[in-house]
Amino acid sequence: AAMAPGKKITARIKRTLPVRGPQAPTLSELMRWYCLNTNTHGCRRIVVSRGRLRRFLWILLTLSAVGLIIWQCAELLMNYYSASVSVTVQFQKLPFPAVTICNINPYKYSAMKDYLSELDKETKKALETFYGFSEGKSKVRRSVDEWNSSGSDFFQQIPLLKFEDFSKTATDFHSGQKRKIEGSVFHKDSSIVNSGDSNDIIGFQLCDANNSSECALYTFSSGVNAIQEWYKLHYMNIMAQIPLETKEKLSYSADDLLLTCFFDGLSCDKRHFTRFHHPLHGNCYTFNSGENGTVLSTSTGGSEYGLQVVLYIDEADYNPFLVTSTGAKIIVHDQNEYPFIEDIGTEIETAAATSIGMHFTRSRKLSKPYSDCTETGADIPVENLYNKSYSLQICLHSCFQKAMVDSCGCAQYAQPLPAGAEYCNYKKNPNWMYCYYKLHEKFVKEQLGCQQICKDACSFKEWALTTSIAQWPSAVSEDWMLRVLSWDKGQKINKKLNKTDLANLMVFYKDLNERFISENPANTLVILLSNFGGQLGLWMSCSVVCVIEIIEVFFIDSLSIVMRRQWQKAKKWWNNRQQERPGKPPQSGDLERQGHDNPVCIDEDLPTFNTALRLPLPQESPLPRTPPPNYSTLRLETAFTEQLPDTLELGQH
Amino acid sequence: MNLKKYFIRALHRLQKGPGYTYKELLVWYCDNTNTHGPKRIIKEGPKKKLIWFFLTLLFASLVFWQWGILINTYLSYNVTSSLSIGFKTMKFPAVTVCNANPYKYSEAKPLLKELDRLIDAALERILQPSPGNSSENISPPLDLELWYQIPLVLIDEHDKDNPIILDIFETNQTAAGIQSPTDTPASADTPTPVGNESSCSHPGSDNCTYRNFTSAAQAVTEWYILQSTSILSKVPLQERIRMGYQAEDMILACLYGAEPCNYKNFTQIYHPDHGNCYIFNWGMDEEALNSSNPGAEFGLKLILDISQQDYIPYLSSAAGARLMLHQQKSFPFLKDQGIYAMAGTETSIGVLVDELERMGYPYSDCTMNGSDVPVKNLYSEYNTSYSIQACLRSCFQNDMIEICGCGHYMFPLPQGVNYCNNEDYPGWAYCYSSLRSSIRHRQICIDSCKETCNDTQYKMTISMADWPSEASEDWIFHILSYERDMSTNVTLDRNGIIKLNIYFQEYNYRTISESAATTIVWLLSSLGGQFGFWMGGSVLCLIEFGEIIIDSLWITVINIISWCKGLKQRRAQARYPDAPPTVSELVEAHTNLGFQHEATGTLPRDRDREEALPPEPGTPPPNYDSLRVQPLDVLGPDSDAE
Repeated sequence: AAMAPGKKITARIKRTLPVRGPQAPTLSELMRWYCLNTNTHGCRRIVVSRGRLRRFLWILLTLSAVGLIIWQCAELLMNYYSASVSVTVQFQKLPFPAVTICNINPYKYSAMKDYLSELDKETKKALETFYGFSEGKSKVRRSVDEWNSSGSDFFQQIPLLKFEDFSKTATDFHSGQKRKIEGSVFHKDSSIVNSGDSNDIIGFQLCDANNSSECALYTFSSGVNAIQEWYKLHYMNIMAQIPLETKEKLSYSADDLLLTCFFDGLSCDKRHFTRFHHPLHGNCYTFNSGENGTVLSTSTGGSEYGLQVVLYIDEADYNPFLVTSTGAKIIVHDQNEYPFIEDIGTEIETAAATSIGMHFTRSRKLSKPYSDCTETGADIPVENLYNKSYSLQICLHSCFQKAMVDSCGCAQYAQPLPAGAEYCNYKKNPNWMYCYYKLHEKFVKEQLGCQQICKDACSFKEWALTTSIAQWPSAVSEDWMLRVLSWDKGQKINKKLNKTDLANLMVFYKDLNERFISENPANTLVILLSNFGGQLGLWMSCSVVCVIEIIEVFFIDSLSIVMRRQWQKAKKWWNNRQQERPGKPPQSGDLERQGHDNPVCIDEDLPTFNTALRLPLPQESPLPRTPPPNYSTLRLETAFTEQLPDTLELGQH
Repeated sequence: MNLKKYFIRALHRLQKGPGYTYKELLVWYCDNTNTHGPKRIIKEGPKKKLIWFFLTLLFASLVFWQWGILINTYLSYNVTSSLSIGFKTMKFPAVTVCNANPYKYSEAKPLLKELDRLIDAALERILQPSPGNSSENISPPLDLELWYQIPLVLIDEHDKDNPIILDIFETNQTAAGIQSPTDTPASADTPTPVGNESSCSHPGSDNCTYRNFTSAAQAVTEWYILQSTSILSKVPLQERIRMGYQAEDMILACLYGAEPCNYKNFTQIYHPDHGNCYIFNWGMDEEALNSSNPGAEFGLKLILDISQQDYIPYLSSAAGARLMLHQQKSFPFLKDQGIYAMAGTETSIGVLVDELERMGYPYSDCTMNGSDVPVKNLYSEYNTSYSIQACLRSCFQNDMIEICGCGHYMFPLPQGVNYCNNEDYPGWAYCYSSLRSSIRHRQICIDSCKETCNDTQYKMTISMADWPSEASEDWIFHILSYERDMSTNVTLDRNGIIKLNIYFQEYNYRTISESAATTIVWLLSSLGGQFGFWMGGSVLCLIEFGEIIIDSLWITVINIISWCKGLKQRRAQARYPDAPPTVSELVEAHTNLGFQHEATGTLPRDRDREEALPPEPGTPPPNYDSLRVQPLDVLGPDSDAE
């Protein structure tokens, strides 16, 4: 009868590709077969060696080789994510960085008079009470009558206190009354520990408005620090209430600050500067901010080709309590970076030429999994409040500000506002200062988790600065220089400039070499595999093929042998039971043969090479005859006489 | 003929392959090769055979792919850097000290007198624009020739499109349109008069540019520098050196470690920006000094006098000493790398030597000694080594000479060229300023100059303190004045005196050195690793493979020949149905039993079939190689005959 075509095909497949079990019927034989035929070097020795000691030695050696391979490969794997550093130097036209310049004094004192008069009066009064400082006495006296006006109660809430001793009594400078101080003492100055003279200690107390027993006490060993901190606290309260536009007007304009400007051999003016309002430093001006899309670049190093500006620092209009030093602050940064001028600014002296030579270094780290840094900051769960590219500083400040808004209900003055929040002032949030100081304490002690959340950026640009100062203007050029500069400025104010009102600043590239420090993966997959191969080859002359062999023999074949054994045992047991009950004669011979000869193997196929190999088993049946020349070449020949028709057939189809 | 026979025999020897057909050969190869995959192909059952065949193919292609990657990596010549930080005995850097002001005003006054009077008068006019009340009628008439070459003008930009240009010494106002300024004033919204400097390529010609400045101070300074450059370039070098500060006047005290030194230990060099400069430890004639201890006590201590009263008022407005640390035998480029030291202070400079050692071509594009840079190094006249600054300046000067016909005063001159001055080269200022602002020329110079492979920087930690202190002021000034001038009068003051301490920091070097990330050894071991990993192979396996290819080629040759022969024979048979055996065939038949003069190709298969017949391996027919050689010998005479 004709078979169905599908069946025909399956039958054909069955014939040409018969299913076979493992090479050997028992485990030990499988092992023996494996050891003799494998490509790895140790195993063969184990089987071939004579004598127990040698065999043992070879087993030991093979095992230790395996152990070494595993150890070394594990080592290689563990070191896979390591980075190598390469430094390249390129000489090229360099982009000029953004240079942000601020006057140290944020706002014109004369313009701020309206807002600060009460605070100043208060400060002067405190100075007088505690230190007998009476320079501004007449002014204070004059204003005493108008003193008890609107805002003063806030000053009274947080007054400066003088501590008699550690018995927690303090003198309030307003009333002169002594009052009990309760609450934990926070020392702003650590030197307090050493100062036994308790008369010197002054400070202030911040209390929780809702719960007056919750107080924090800030003490300072020096009145200078105490007064400045106290002044700043109140100053921030006042400034937080002034809208941004007004503050910009109160601060210096570009014309006020910049007298002359010269870049790359060409004259420049205020249009090359972008205004940037900094909460603590007022109006700052950024040269080459890249705002209109173009970034200036230098193609020649040296002081003549950099930025040269003469700044007008109006020292007479400084706030006496807020800032105590004179000059300007500058910071060199990338166009996309936020200038943290209060943190990392360089101060510029007046009546001097400050020459700042720059050296440009660009660094790049590898991000995960090599190191824990972030490329863009997008994977950091902290919202970037600054409108600039991510940096660690930005993240920390934003994180703090967020915590501030969450716990105190308003935003800290020195940092930008998150959406929907407003700056703290004690009209709306009488409690904020206590809250802020508590929070800041936590932040410094890393209890807010900001330091853990924020990661450093993977790539950053750095301008290493070499700052040096020369006297400017020189004794002989002072006269004409000041006259001409006054004339330059003369259109606005009719007074001759003083040299202590001026600062000359030069920012230039020392050389146009850009150092680029980058991390590269030390290993690629290719190299890792090569190293694996080297290890495997060195100890055992093994390859992936061997690994596959091992998997095949040790897992698949051994398992199938074990399974077969179990199956036969079960079958035997079943048969025995069957036999016991109905009393059938056992077919032990049959079973034994099956166990020995692998029943799966017995099929109607022609004997192939494999079966042929197993069938005669010359070692087991040592017939007394001339030993057949059992060379491998011979075996081969037989092998391929058998296989020839097969392969031929395959080839034809 | 003899030779041919030898040749053929040699070829036959070579050809003694392991098989006669491709299949035979392949099977033999698979069984005997040392690579791991192929053996499996023939040893396993048909299903596994297929799997192993594909696995082997896959592994082989993987090996080749990864080899490609490895070779590519090698050819990209990557480098790795290693960093070392520490303290070691090092050469103390060369220290160049200059005065910020190039010449003593008292010496240069005769040359600059006219110019100074001119600028004074001009300033007078600028600052007090109302004419009449100035004092010019008292003073002798001004030399206006200097003025007319490069006049200072005021540009009134109230009207943007039609700015009014006002020559300071002339009352008539000329509209800008007449002079066709190539550089129209850009400041659109500044309604203030702007100090300007104009230069024309030829006096009276229409080809003029106005360099505009927003500040009069800048304009005056730039104008003065341009004019004084022109005047001083005519002065011979000896005279210029004489006008500058002398070592014995400037260097008052010197101490290196515990050893005293004085101005004689300094090498004088003339620097166009700063006049006479003095270099300590330049290493030109004598061995460079070593410093083996960190700290200020073991460094260089200097006391300098810059005599600020003798400054040229309009030339340099900043007062102080200019100093620079650099390598031995290199030229100090003070404008680029120099720092200031302020008068009346003690400046301490802690030094860290930051070295970068790079490998040359092909690892990075740098030059070892500048010999392969296409720019002629003009600084070689100082016997100094190549540096990129020297290259850039030489490049500029060469361009300047080519375009303007004269050299700029700030840079060294090649043979047979003069410095520019207003008399001999009236258009030089225009030419110079257009060249200086030309981005294209700068870019050409940047592209043609290469950085040096060993880049050394001196990182300085600068700190300052007031010096001398008020209490010690008197006696210090007294002693220093006495030592210098042998007089009991105090000739020094706070405005002129500078103390310098230059010393190595606790860690005085940071060396970044490059090494090749991929060497040939690395490449070979990686290639071996890959081959070993996937296939367990080695170079010998490759040779085996090559051998097999040669063998198979031989088989091809044999097949072709036998096919040709068969064709011939068939033709011959067609003519003579029963061809008589040739003599050689007869001879062969006599000597070789296995010989058959039928088609050679059938022979091995027949023999195999005979062998396959006995199912049990009894004594098989000796299947030695000698037997196999048969067809060769058959072939021999045939090919001979051909």
